[in-house]
Amino acid sequence: MPNWKQIVRKNLRVLSACSPEFTEELAGHLEDSYEASLREGVPAEVAFHRTVSQIEGRRRIWLVLRFLQEDFVTGFIRKAALPGLLTFAASAFVSYAFLLLTYFHLKIIWPANGQILALPLGVWCQLCLLSICGALGAILSRRNGGSRLHRIAAALFPSEIMGTAILLVYCVGFALSRFVPDYAWGAANEWKLLEPGLLGFVILPAAFLLLGAGVAEGVGNSPSRTSPQRTSARSEYSGQ
Amino acid sequence: MTSVNAQIKRGSAELAVLTLLAKRPLHGYEIAKQIEAQTAGVLSFDMASLYPMLYRLERKRWVKAEWQTLPNGRRRRCYRLMPAGQKQIAPLRAEWRAFFQALQTITGFQNA
Repeated sequence: MPNWKQIVRKNLRVLSACSPEFTEELAGHLEDSYEASLREGVPAEVAFHRTVSQIEGRRRIWLVLRFLQEDFVTGFIRKAALPGLLTFAASAFVSYAFLLLTYFHLKIIWPANGQILALPLGVWCQLCLLSICGALGAILSRRNGGSRLHRIAAALFPSEIMGTAILLVYCVGFALSRFVPDYAWGAANEWKLLEPGLLGFVILPAAFLLLGAGVAEGVGNSPSRTSPQRTSARSEYSGQ
Repeated sequence: MTSVNAQIKRGSAELAVLTLLAKRPLHGYEIAKQIEAQTAGVLSFDMASLYPMLYRLERKRWVKAEWQTLPNGRRRRCYRLMPAGQKQIAPLRAEWRAFFQALQTITGFQNA
């Protein structure tokens, strides 16, 4: 008997990453289909190819598109976009509020060296708080039934937004520098501007957001947090 | 007169599935096979149409899916009609009937 789960996973990688439950259901469908063909007296090889053809070529594309369409409209929004937006809002609030508070507070207490202390302290505290925001996004996504991919997307949402914004600004600046004469943003400065922006607003925060999501994942999976009741509820949901 | 929903096609597929599930819980493959058998192959669902629709019905809480272990030890996701889904059958039938009547008025054909 062919391993249908493996075949589905191989043919529909995107779907198996989004929804392992759906993958298992499709595998069951193919298994039934294959056995029905065998019962009809179809040779095993022909039955196999006939069954696999249901998830190959145009049908595969159509299946993935239909699933993603359904999932995008409801699942993606509920499992990734909404938790991601909340993560973004929380991280934006935390970043700006903490930066301002730290800067002014330290400046009042230590007027002489406040400016020197404020920046590194503010940045590190922001990054630490960002990891809490990342954990928040991952937890919310998990509560809404999000897969690992959804949880990562939700946790990284602030970085995704900032990355997109920076790249967009960069592209616009690049285009302007090419087409507008005497544009202030010279070609030599383009990478110099892009690199710290990506590092400071995208890569470093992404690392801390992911760290928070990873910690939340670890805590969520720890045995002490998984009481028998919680396990059965989750098993029912995920079909395990 | 009942207004015909713009998405009558989708509605008719939903009606077919809900009507089948009103009799007994079924899993995806059984649903597809029964629809095909009962309509002599006129209506058929491939996986790309069936499962997204079943998931949509589940989200609307018209059906409930539960994993069941079959006597041969295999696991299948069985769909059961919920009260909210039961309530949808009559309006969907009315829409479908209205659609046929409208078509009959225009074309003069007789539906079965």
